[in-house]
Amino acid sequence: MKLIKLASITKKLAVGALAAFLLIFLPFHMGMNLCILRDDGGEWYRNVCHFMGTNYIVKCFEIVLLLCVVFHIVLTFILWLENRAARPVRYAVSQKSKTHQGSKWMIITGGLIFVFLILHFINFYFAKTGLVEGKYVVKVEKVQKAFSAKAMAIQQGQMKEADMQKLQKEYMSIMAAGEKLASDGKYYVNLSKQDLQTYFGENVEEYDYEPDFYNMARDLFHNPLYVIIYLLSFVILAIHLLHGVVSVFQTYGLMNEKYSKAISYLAIIYAIVIPLGFAIVPIQVILF
Amino acid sequence: MDLTLKIWRQENAKAKGHFETYKLTDISPECSFLEMLDILNEQLINDNIAHPVCFDNDCREGICGMCGLYINGRPHGPDEGVTTCQLHMRRFHDGDTITIEPWRAKPFPVIKDLVVDRSAFDKIIQAGGYTSATTGGVPDANAIPIPKHKADEAMDSASCIGCGACVAACKNASAMLFVSGKVSQLALLPQGKTEAAIRVKRMVKKMDELGFGSCTNTFACEAECPKQLKRTNIARMNREFICAKVCSEEK
Repeated sequence: MKLIKLASITKKLAVGALAAFLLIFLPFHMGMNLCILRDDGGEWYRNVCHFMGTNYIVKCFEIVLLLCVVFHIVLTFILWLENRAARPVRYAVSQKSKTHQGSKWMIITGGLIFVFLILHFINFYFAKTGLVEGKYVVKVEKVQKAFSAKAMAIQQGQMKEADMQKLQKEYMSIMAAGEKLASDGKYYVNLSKQDLQTYFGENVEEYDYEPDFYNMARDLFHNPLYVIIYLLSFVILAIHLLHGVVSVFQTYGLMNEKYSKAISYLAIIYAIVIPLGFAIVPIQVILF
Repeated sequence: MDLTLKIWRQENAKAKGHFETYKLTDISPECSFLEMLDILNEQLINDNIAHPVCFDNDCREGICGMCGLYINGRPHGPDEGVTTCQLHMRRFHDGDTITIEPWRAKPFPVIKDLVVDRSAFDKIIQAGGYTSATTGGVPDANAIPIPKHKADEAMDSASCIGCGACVAACKNASAMLFVSGKVSQLALLPQGKTEAAIRVKRMVKKMDELGFGSCTNTFACEAECPKQLKRTNIARMNREFICAKVCSEEK
């Protein structure tokens, strides 16, 4: 049974290429998360999030990344079905060969990582797209710019006296938002949807509010149940990577007698260091 | 040694098979595995119990690749680097239960009992596992200079006897180790190199057509290969395949 009429090796190469992109992406995400560890009230992390959320090149990569995840899952699932079909009658005694069994767990660990991804999307990505309510930040600079533009308009007589009062009222309410000011003074942070309404009124859209991932993450990492799920997910990711990284090299024919040892060690280091980097963040947040 | 054997019995390719249990007593530990089955068959015939158990075998010295039984969850049994015929009963314990199954793979249908049809391998070889040049007489030794390490590698890859243990061991019933051995032995030497690109494409295509699974890098094949072919052959075939697809002008 062949669900996709491509050579088996071509399909494997495609899965490997998609995986390779994800492998390159992971250190970036990890580096971003590690910014949370910095004791600066989220200054670095917020700046990184702002860059990732607004830069057009990053946005393009975001689409590529999502497609990579989807096709990696779809293709591997198809391969799994095809591979099962290659042995219609199973053995009565399960395999006892002396070999590492990493590949047997790939579909299971992969599935569990997918479940975690859904959770991750609900918690963070959907807040960004507006599907789920989260916490938000507003850039002070944006508010000031919009404000001075309006004040200018009034001064030049393009706006009526009545608007003046409205502007004053708006100014007062935004001043009240000052208690939400971040330590670097560049953002109003930790704002709920309600806060946005209270402080910024109907003009909130023009201030380009962004999700406050820093406070959302810290809130979640103070929940022990979420931390356990999070840490387990990265143990599962480590298991997935332990087989996956070497497999990419093997599938692309880069393993030979000369380099296979070095590549295997590098893969093990990658598979441990990356999940560890992710795992440090909630541990630090919940313990310290 | 007293043994309990659980053996797969299947009348013919279309019949439904089942496990049959036989008891054997007083088997010598010096006896080979196939000799043990011979003793069982003698008893089955003499005592008029059942038809003898069918199993493939020929040379009984580990070079022909005919024998191949899935013994207690491992192709060719518990020893490493041997075929079923080279396995001896001293590797088992008195009172053991031994489960014997035929190779299980879609391209290897069971013909009878423990005998499977492995002509799928022949079809893969027919698809490209050869050099098409007529070679004429035997050339002088060293007429074509070949570095020693290349000759060794090619010889190692060529040691495959086509028994099918790699397919039997693989959780996906993939024939990658077999095909990669054949691709490698020819691609490594100058005589085979000229047709390497078209060969790998044809052989992989045939392998897929026949319904073998794909490789998920478990390397059970390497662990079970009686000739201990290495996984580097599979990497080499992947490399050859990519080169053939990307660089070769042949379709």
